[in-house]
Formats: sequence, C-alpha cells, structure tokens
Amino acid sequence: MDAGSPLGGPATSGIADALKGTLSRGAGKASQEQRRVTLILGGVLLTLGLRRISFGGVALALAGGALLYRELARRSGQAGAETNMAEVARSITIGKSADELHRFWREGGYLPRVMGHFAEITETDMDQAHWTVRVPGGRSLSWDTQVVESRPGELVRWQSLPGADLPNWGEMRLRPAPGDRGTEVTLRLHFQPPGGTLGAAVARALNGLVPSLLVGDALRRFKSLAETGEIPTLDRNPSARASTA
Amino acid sequence: MRALCWEGVNDLRVQTVPDPVIVNPHDVILRITMSTTCGSDLHFIDGYVPSMLPGDVIGHEFMGVVEDVGPEVKKVKKGDRVVVPSFVACGDCWYCQHDLYSLCDNTNPNAELQAPLLGYPTGACFGYTHAFGGYAGSHAQYMRVPHADVGCFQVPEGLRDEQVLFLSDAAPTGYMGADFCDIKPGDIVAVWGCGGVGLMAQQSAFLLGAERVIAIDRFPERLKMARDHIGSETINYVETPDVLAVLHEMTGGRGPDACIDAVGMEAYGTGPGYLYDKAKQTLRLVTDRGQALRQAIMAVRKGGTLSILGVYGVMDKFPIGVLMNKGVTVRTAQQHGQHYLPRLLEHAVKGELDPSYLATHRFSLEDGPRAYAMFKNKEDGIVRAVFTP
Ligand SMILES: [Zn+2]
Ligand SMILES: [Zn+2]
Repeated sequence: MDAGSPLGGPATSGIADALKGTLSRGAGKASQEQRRVTLILGGVLLTLGLRRISFGGVALALAGGALLYRELARRSGQAGAETNMAEVARSITIGKSADELHRFWREGGYLPRVMGHFAEITETDMDQAHWTVRVPGGRSLSWDTQVVESRPGELVRWQSLPGADLPNWGEMRLRPAPGDRGTEVTLRLHFQPPGGTLGAAVARALNGLVPSLLVGDALRRFKSLAETGEIPTLDRNPSARASTA
Repeated sequence: MRALCWEGVNDLRVQTVPDPVIVNPHDVILRITMSTTCGSDLHFIDGYVPSMLPGDVIGHEFMGVVEDVGPEVKKVKKGDRVVVPSFVACGDCWYCQHDLYSLCDNTNPNAELQAPLLGYPTGACFGYTHAFGGYAGSHAQYMRVPHADVGCFQVPEGLRDEQVLFLSDAAPTGYMGADFCDIKPGDIVAVWGCGGVGLMAQQSAFLLGAERVIAIDRFPERLKMARDHIGSETINYVETPDVLAVLHEMTGGRGPDACIDAVGMEAYGTGPGYLYDKAKQTLRLVTDRGQALRQAIMAVRKGGTLSILGVYGVMDKFPIGVLMNKGVTVRTAQQHGQHYLPRLLEHAVKGELDPSYLATHRFSLEDGPRAYAMFKNKEDGIVRAVFTP
C-alpha cells in the first residue's frame, strides 16, 4: 500500500499523531518498563491495523486501541481523576421496516454475524452475550453484555457488565426513512476511557478512528445481511498471496 | 488454477492460485471460457489508481459456464452458459431496485474504505482495485460470482462466444452512454474514443435512433472500424489541427446534440494542455489528462448532453463555466449492466449488435503479460486481447 491508498492519507496520520502525543506523555510518567511496552504495543497495533485494507486489519486496530486503553485505565486508577467519554454514532438506511430490523437484531445468530469482523460473540441467552476480541500474540480481551432496553421498532440498548476488559455500552435506534427508503438505523457506541490527559488523548483516538470504522462496518454488515441474506466477503478470495489474512 | 496477477506497477505474471469456492449462499463458480482486456485495466497497471495488492487476480469482462451453485441460487443452473456484467449487484438494495446497479450498496466488502474517496461507496467490480471490492477477476480458469441470480445472463442458442463476450462490459457501458443522451430524431452524436467502449457507444447511438454519429480518435485502423462496422463519420485528431472547427462545420454551426467521452484518463492529446497534464501525471501528481473531455465540453451544442464513460480520478483546469453557461446536461456512471443485458442480448439475437470484430487478437492465458503489453502500446492494430483460459 502507498500514500495514495484509501487509508494512507490524513486519517491515518491524524491517529498516529494523536498516539504519538499519548505515548510520549505516557512515557514521561510511566515507571514500569512493562507498561511502557504495553502502551507502545497497543499504539503500534492500532496504527498497523488502520494501515491494512482488510477487516482483519480493523480487528487488529481495535485490539490495539483496547490494549492501550486497558493500560491507561490501570494507570489512571493510580492517579484518580475526571472521566472522559468517547462516543461514536453512525447511521445507515436499510430497506426493511423498523419492526423487521428490530426482530433481526434480537434474533439469535444475527449479532455474531454483524459483529463478526472484529469480535467473536456467544449469545448466552436472549439478553446476554459474551464478546471476545483476539489480540495477536495469543491474548484476547473479553466482556459480557446485557440488553438493558428493547422496544420493538424503536431501539435496542446494551451495556457491558462489571469486569469488562473494555467497558462500553451501545444502542441501535430505528426510525422510518421517507418514501420507499425503509428505515434509518443509528448505531451508537460509548467507551469509558480513564481520566486525565492520557485519557483525553485516548478518547480522541477512540473517538475518530477505530470505532468509526468498526461501527461503519457493523452497520454495513447489518444492512447487507438484512437486505440480501448475506454479507459481502473476500474470504477464500483467490490471489497469489501466501495467505489472505 | 492458473490466473493472471498484478504484482506491481507494470508487472503482470501468470501464477498458480487457489481455486475459488462457494462462500456465500448466492454465489456460483464459473469456468471462464473467454475473458478480455479493458482500457480501465491500464489505470492500475500503470499505477495511476491506488489500492491494488500484489497477487491480485485481474480481469472484469468475461463469460463462462456455471460449474457449481450456492444453496440459495434460484435461477442459474449448473451447465448454464452465461455472460456477467463487470459490476457486482445484489438486486435487493434501493439502488438496484432503481436500476442503478453499479451503485449497489451491498456488494463491496471494502465499502468503508472506499467511502472516504467518494463520499459514499459504490458496488464492487470484479478484478479491480480493493477500493472497488477486491474480488478476484476473470483472467483465470475459474471465478466466484456473488449474487449470481442478478448477474448471470443466460446466452441464447446460436450466439458464438466472441459475439457475447463484450456484452459483459464494453457493450453495456457504451449502450448506457448512448441511452444517457436521450436521443431524438435528427440528433447528431459525437463520440471521443474508438476503443471497445467508444465503438459500442457509436453503434448504440444508431440503435437508439441517432441521425449521424461522428467518431474522434487518432488510430487509423480504429477509425476505419468505426466507418466500416458502424457507419460513423470520422475525425483523426492528429491529422486535424482544429477538431472543434471541423465539428462546427459538420453540424451546420450547431454542434453535436450529444457528446460522449469514451476515453477517460488515457486521453492522448496534442496541445499544451496535454503536455501540462502529462507532466503532472508523470510526476505522480495524478490529475488526469482530460483533453477529450475538455474538447467534448466545448463541442457540445447549447442545451445538449455530455455523457461521460471514461474513468477519471481528479482533474484540474475543468471548464465548469462552459457547462454552466451552455446549459449542458451531464450524465455519467459506471455501467448498470444488469439493466441493459436483456436488451443487448435481444439486439444480438436479431443480428443488430455483433461486437465480435473487437476481438482482434487471441492469446492463451499464459501469454497474459505479453497481451497486455501489446494492448497498452496499441501494437498491430489491437483493439481487444481475448483470452480463452
Ligand atoms: Zn472495463
Ligand atoms: Zn444492490
């Protein structure tokens, strides 16, 4: 890939700059080498992931962000301070009724496919799910979510339970689109980074980049699945590359 | 299987790659019987468009026989001989349902990565860049075709492969370009470019009722094709110092009612504007050479139609004021092939459309790199190189 590639331009360097700021400030305060390494690893994963054109790359970026976040969260626990919210919301229009879309979302098996580009989801019952994001190097981050509100044709809202590696909550809102256009769907995700300057930097990074790709992809996957019964994929796409990671 | 792969700028190689398999329920696997080069392939071969990856299988104009069908495929059957448009369309989204198939919402696996380039993502194209989906292309023995019930059109009995092959890309693109012109009795249509798409646009303009068609190119053998196979009048812009003046006189001072640009960023001009564009392009500042398009904008009559089929990236020195002051209607798109294929097959069966003369040169797939070198340099009067994998 080169500077002309879709992700090679200002978007990536913006993130990279945000991270550099985070990392340099972090290094000044950090006392333990291991934490510094975790921070850098997280940053590298995040940047790497964003430079790669693949859903695997998005997962990588998310994992990087999460690692970075977790380390910063631990540190802020020591400092104790104000909290920052990172939030991303994106909308898409889907050519199905709001009731149908609500039913799909709540149907067993739908969520794991919609979020399959970055997380492995096991639905433990209708309202609870276990999320796992793999991190290169054999590690993984996980959390459980609980549906806290569900109104047919209107919304579904969930939040992570205590003990989550990356505390978060989210909602999907539905409203009718004009004419024959179906339903406008808004997916909103909240992350709760730690307080302090570091937290603010992470919040900025989380705000612009990873979640936006993550949420955008999730919405497109939801739309394609709802409209066509399948999600477009390059799985097992023939090429002369050794693997199609 | 064997496949022709992009390995870098001006570096194509035939490689052994994994066979495609059914991945999604509406997929079929096609055994490719014919596949052809397209001018837009030269954009990534020359490195002017981003997001190719080494190892990508290229090719997007093709036909074949169905080898395997996914569990949800309803109409297409194993053994069907089919032609397939180069853009993948789902048939279910708002765009597909409004016959805007190349704008499909549900076929581009890299939609989120393409969106920043265009504002909103388009459908995917086979064998093209990753921004356009990254699906493996047709210069191969086998190919996976998603949404087969929407994209696969059964070939009627009695038509030979080379009569049908170009209905995959060149013919629907050219036909759509002529359809955009909303041709009325008495209309004169001028077409820049006598490659596959340009020739198909000229023939389509006549099929849709044009009184006269004027073709502009620089290759004598292509201009001869336009005269002999289609009945176009021709202008060789290398020999003609002032194309605009000639068009002015040929149309009684009115100008063509519609102008079709079937050249795109390959456009090869002669004046200082060309040198400016070429210098910038060579320096990888990648604003497109746009001579043909600028000329078409000047040539078209007041209130006429400009139909753009050439593929462009970014162009500066674009005379938007000319369009505005003359009240020109601009229409453009990547081909909505699924909308035009039934009509085109009907024309082919009636003998009104036979693009087989575009197949000037045949190659085995193993000769792919040599075929593209000839095609790029337009050697030996080549219009299209055809592979029979
Ligand atoms: Zn083409
Ligand atoms: Zn569609």
